[in-house]
Amino acid sequence: MTAELILIFGGMLALSGSAFVAFCWSVCNGQMARPREAALTIFDDDEPVGLPTDRFPSRK
Amino acid sequence: MNKLPLFVIGVLCTFAFSWLGLVVYPFVKLGHLEPVPDEETGGYFPPTLSGAAVAGQQVYAANGCIYCHSQQVRPASLSTDIAKEVGPRRTVARDYLRERTVFLGTMRTGPDLANVGLRKTDPNWLHRHLYEPRSVTPWSIMPSYRYLYKMQKIQGQPSANALRELSGRHAPEPGYEVVPTDDANALVAYLLSLKRNYPLPEAPLPAAK
Amino acid sequence: MKSQSLLTSIHPATVPDSLASHERAEIDASTRGPVLLFFGCSVFWLLVGSLLGLVAAWKMTHPGLLDSMAWLTFGRIRPAHLNVVVYGWAFQAGIGVALWLMARLCRIPLLHAKLLVSATLFWNLGVLIGVLGILAGDSRSVEWLELPGYATPILFLAYACIGVWAVIMFRYRRPGHVYVSQWYLLAAFLWFPWLYATANILLIWQPVQGSAQGAVNWWFARNVLGLWLTPIGLASAFYMIPKVLGRPIHSYYLSLLGFWALALFYSWNGMHHLIGGPFPAWMISASVVASILMIIPVITVAINHHMTMKGHFEALKWSPTLRFTVFGAMAYTVVSLQGCLMAIPSLNTITHFTDYTIGHAHLGLYGFFSMMMFGAIYYIVPRLVGWEWPSATMIRWHFWLAATGVLLMVGALTIGGLLQGLALYDPKVSFQSSLDFATPFRWVRGISGFLLLAGHLVFACLFVQMLLKIGHRRTGPALFTESKTEAASL
Repeated sequence: MTAELILIFGGMLALSGSAFVAFCWSVCNGQMARPREAALTIFDDDEPVGLPTDRFPSRK
Repeated sequence: MNKLPLFVIGVLCTFAFSWLGLVVYPFVKLGHLEPVPDEETGGYFPPTLSGAAVAGQQVYAANGCIYCHSQQVRPASLSTDIAKEVGPRRTVARDYLRERTVFLGTMRTGPDLANVGLRKTDPNWLHRHLYEPRSVTPWSIMPSYRYLYKMQKIQGQPSANALRELSGRHAPEPGYEVVPTDDANALVAYLLSLKRNYPLPEAPLPAAK
Repeated sequence: MKSQSLLTSIHPATVPDSLASHERAEIDASTRGPVLLFFGCSVFWLLVGSLLGLVAAWKMTHPGLLDSMAWLTFGRIRPAHLNVVVYGWAFQAGIGVALWLMARLCRIPLLHAKLLVSATLFWNLGVLIGVLGILAGDSRSVEWLELPGYATPILFLAYACIGVWAVIMFRYRRPGHVYVSQWYLLAAFLWFPWLYATANILLIWQPVQGSAQGAVNWWFARNVLGLWLTPIGLASAFYMIPKVLGRPIHSYYLSLLGFWALALFYSWNGMHHLIGGPFPAWMISASVVASILMIIPVITVAINHHMTMKGHFEALKWSPTLRFTVFGAMAYTVVSLQGCLMAIPSLNTITHFTDYTIGHAHLGLYGFFSMMMFGAIYYIVPRLVGWEWPSATMIRWHFWLAATGVLLMVGALTIGGLLQGLALYDPKVSFQSSLDFATPFRWVRGISGFLLLAGHLVFACLFVQMLLKIGHRRTGPALFTESKTEAASL
């Protein structure tokens, strides 16, 4: 039973550790850099920032 | 493109964390409990279930009793369950090792059933209650389970298992009787078996009052 | 697919190439078949689910209602309602939105749409067989997993096609930044199969012994909401709010912090449904702590959405998408904070086992998720069929019916549940009074069901009109002509 417990809790520790390392790595390698640019990826030349893209249909 | 594998590993690792804690751990620790031998009678706690009671679990599941009835007594430190006589002691993991599906439940629209076998010992009462809840408890909002019973013409002698004491508009017409189907009998056998009043090492009974 | 140098893959800071409007229209069009089919089926199940929910609700006040037949009993109608709205409506609407978002954000067309169409058909077959199985009495009464063991392999097969597709799309995305919505979607597509496989194996096919079932059950049920539906809803909000407003998200950092906090904490939340249950104390404590820590991702998301909206709330007047999405985002904040509070043991002891929990669930699944999906569908469908929604009045009716319906329901169940809980808590009060307290509020809940059903009928009507192309043709591939002039004045 103790062996199982060590395995489980050791595993949990290792996993959370590696998740943390992955997080740090993504910070270091630029995923978190230039957040402004990443936020702008959903806009294009013909749908630029400042242009609303939805409205109630108008009566014609 | 080498960010994708890393992201995937990160995502799976965070998830595996809870998977180990809430799935693998209980699987290992709670999934292989043994019944405790009872020195006085040579039996076991929790006691083995009769075949009818095991079949009754299936009826309990098929008709969704769990959506209104829980089967757990919370400890006195966290609730008033014991003061409200839901059961004599808190329920623990070992209490449930005979159940194929564990009906812990999340609702108490109706009363808790973890110890219904202690409170109701008369099978006829349970049958009447299932057949027409408001015939025994006028304020009950439990649906009727008439479809688990058969209305039939009395052939000679009334059947030994026919429901007794059905009165008023719930009573069958003269010459007819209401008999439980196998499903109804199994369900009642299961309900009667629900008694968590035996001592366990991790959950002793409170000293006699 | 352009090949990338090692440098660009380590520092993906290259400015993404902009998408021409015809390219975007092509990408949208490539998703038309499967996405419309997912939406269409989800709307059908939404109607079925509302009807089942309505019947179940009125059975609580009229126990004699439709009680003569086994398949109509409360204990089967209620799980049928849950499974229809979850696996029929929420999953399919969510998958539709997720696939469309994935294609747009990866900037590539959806290939081999026919495979996805057949996956949709399989999924619906699975839901249909499963729900009939529940009504026939084959449910095992494991909450959120009532679909019988013979239906789930079909769902699994269908999901495999869909999930693999989403991951492949991500793999072949155009170079450039990964938007936060993509993180949420990709993670959700990876988490769900693991969740569903574990739960089905340990609970339905080879049930594990004893109360371990409870832990696995609520680990699953909570995570289906938290790590599958919630990420899809949030991915939609993170796209729709900035895109409709034409304002980038307030803080990209906050959104990433929110993502990892959600992944880490939400997955531990499940056991707060079992406080006081037959489990080792540490499991419950870990869940309570994780539930309270959920404040972090929730607040980050709330601040982010609010700051993006700030100063632009008048947009709710002219954008149907935004109106639903912002309602959903607000409901997410409220429901999550409510969830944090409910995990505190001294409060949980009152609200546990009562209608309060049901109200909470509806605020989450309807107030948050379903409203989010309505918003996304109002944005996506015109871009798939090339027609405007036929009637602004009907959209407004849908919104107000849905919003009042869900607020009325949640309000009634919350107050009724608290009174019920206090009665159940007090040793001097009889069980009967817990029913007496709850009953008037259950009536209100029943009435709110009619409002929701009416709203869904309006929505279904609009949707069918779109499919039949009743309305005005769109003048551009992705834009409404009027909004260009209005943008100048904004």
